[in-house]
Amino acid sequence: MERIKHFVTENPDLVFAILLAVGVFTFFAITEPLFFTHRTGFAIMERFAVLGLVGLALTLCIIAGEIDLSIGSNAALAAVITVRFTDDWGAVNALLLALAISTTIGAIQGYFIAYLRIRAIVLTVGTLMLLRGVALFAAEEKTVMLTDFRIPDFISTKMLVYFSPASLLVIAMFIIVGLFMTYTRYGREIYAIGGARKEALASGISLQRPMIIVFAISGFCAGLGGIIIGLRSGTAQALGLQYLLLAGTVAAFIGGVSILGGKGGVIGAAIGTLTVNFLNTGLVFNVTPSFMVQLYLGILLLVVIMFQTGSRVFDERQRRSQLLNDADRRRSILADKIAELRRPSG
Amino acid sequence: MTDATAMSGDDLNFIQRIRRDYSPLVIIMVGLFLFVFVAGATLTDDFLTWFNVKTIIRDAALVGIMAIGLTFVTLSGNFFLLSMKEIAALSIICFATLMGADWNQWGPADGDPTTSALMTTFLVAFAATMIIATITGAMQGALIGLGGNPIVVTLGAAGLFFGIGSWWSDNLVVSYRRPHGAEWLGTGSFIGDIPNITVAFIIIAILAELTLRYTTFGRQVYLVGANRAAGRATGHENFGMAIKCCIIASVCAAFVAVAFSGQVSSAHVNYFSSEFGSSGDMTIMVIAIVMVGGNSIMGGYGSTLRTSLGAIFISSIDNMMVLNGFNSGARVLAVGLMIVFSIIVFALVRRGSRAVE
Repeated sequence: MERIKHFVTENPDLVFAILLAVGVFTFFAITEPLFFTHRTGFAIMERFAVLGLVGLALTLCIIAGEIDLSIGSNAALAAVITVRFTDDWGAVNALLLALAISTTIGAIQGYFIAYLRIRAIVLTVGTLMLLRGVALFAAEEKTVMLTDFRIPDFISTKMLVYFSPASLLVIAMFIIVGLFMTYTRYGREIYAIGGARKEALASGISLQRPMIIVFAISGFCAGLGGIIIGLRSGTAQALGLQYLLLAGTVAAFIGGVSILGGKGGVIGAAIGTLTVNFLNTGLVFNVTPSFMVQLYLGILLLVVIMFQTGSRVFDERQRRSQLLNDADRRRSILADKIAELRRPSG
Repeated sequence: MTDATAMSGDDLNFIQRIRRDYSPLVIIMVGLFLFVFVAGATLTDDFLTWFNVKTIIRDAALVGIMAIGLTFVTLSGNFFLLSMKEIAALSIICFATLMGADWNQWGPADGDPTTSALMTTFLVAFAATMIIATITGAMQGALIGLGGNPIVVTLGAAGLFFGIGSWWSDNLVVSYRRPHGAEWLGTGSFIGDIPNITVAFIIIAILAELTLRYTTFGRQVYLVGANRAAGRATGHENFGMAIKCCIIASVCAAFVAVAFSGQVSSAHVNYFSSEFGSSGDMTIMVIAIVMVGGNSIMGGYGSTLRTSLGAIFISSIDNMMVLNGFNSGARVLAVGLMIVFSIIVFALVRRGSRAVE
């Protein structure tokens, strides 16, 4: 009991995320008879495979105090490359090429952000357009398609009731990145440049290494997500996948990252993604059109942001009033003392 | 001659003044852009014809008006709104729905409606659209002004507005009968053969530039954008500024939506998305124009004149590439390269000036 209390006070955001996830799950489990079944569980894990990667990538970026807007374009580029070259070179070669390209793109972005000392949003809004152009170029402005459907079949084979090769791979990715962020120096550097960048730089951390690592991982995750989508559906469009940014951002923010950076973690990202997936899947049961899902996601993101901003404004107010009160108290004490000194003795 | 006059630069000629005010990198960039432009213009057949120039400016007008609105947000130090195209989508649905719905009330039940009925319908729909745009702008501005991150707030708002727009229109095309009052704005022309939308673009560009240069509000925008702490110390909080600038951007987006709807006599939420436009989605195009025009994305430096020139520049490069038979991929790539290039150049310049400090 004591330990639970400690956990709650230490991680209020994570507890909020867990409660929200459980709440959404319970709501749909009660209202939709088909929701709480093995098949739906499998479907949710299949969605998790893609959205989880994007949520993870954005979580890392936001922990480092930046945001990667080019994630959708990067994913689309990887999807186009994989699908286009799978028939000629085999899936593994095409996949490795796409992964290498998107990781390199991410690393280059990170390098430029650190070297030029610009905010990531400024650069990534440019690369969003640039990568879209590259993807259009690679796809020759067409929707590219697979002819051999053995690979899509393999990727969504059911294993252990809930999982497929894709979702197992993504779960492994979560564990690796989680261990990396918690137990290595490089991971802690990422937290440091996000939470207190000036202090981190002053204490000798270079901006370049953590930025390159974060954006390389972000590019890798985006690429892998794009590859999974592309191979699973057998088609890829250069202008597709832009919806990933909103869904991934919602997942990251539900998972408890702060826009100021330095907060949040991989477990939060997983729970945030699951919440979004529960919502998505549950709404599909209600025959909700896809634009309504976008509407709900938008509202969810605005609410979370309002909550965060509100609590920050409230904190500032309180700190300020505390400061003023302290000053008042000191002044009154001083006034008493001065009055005592001025009083004619005797 | 004293040192003071030498410092103030009254005796410098044009070239010396440019060398004092701009870093060599910027001059090289502008030179390169001009070179590309001139080389393209001379090598492309039929580029410098009156008809083509008119087309270029007309193409630049729609995105250009939006970009002028967004420039206010950028100059005030609030980065950019990722919800520009969704604001426009919501506005176009609102406008078209009202244009269609009020038809029979104002005109006779059968036969052609009178001109005054057309105008009334148009004005009612236009006013309602502007009100909706003001509300959307004020909502985002308030959240940003309270300290919400502009990118994340507008990303969420984008989902919300797009959802509302699709829900309102059932994700269908809303069309209305011709003739209608919006045609005058969309496709009409009252000065010779210059389209009205081009005239509107020029008027809005001039008005915005005058506002920024000569009004108190304009100076405040620069102050808050350049130095937020100084702004707060002199009583110009970002809260009010963010709301005002976001409202300007939203109203510009809504105006573009109305003009576009007037051209096609219909509306759909996807009209401004990548599936529809020639060079990718409208929001990114608008941000590209603001950046390529040479406005500092961190705020406080730039002007709407630069934005307008950026719009015309991107539009002419696009036009040149179309005339030379490039596909949409190459065109999007060119715009992307231009954005990244100008971001890097301006960041290098800023880095250089910091080192001097």
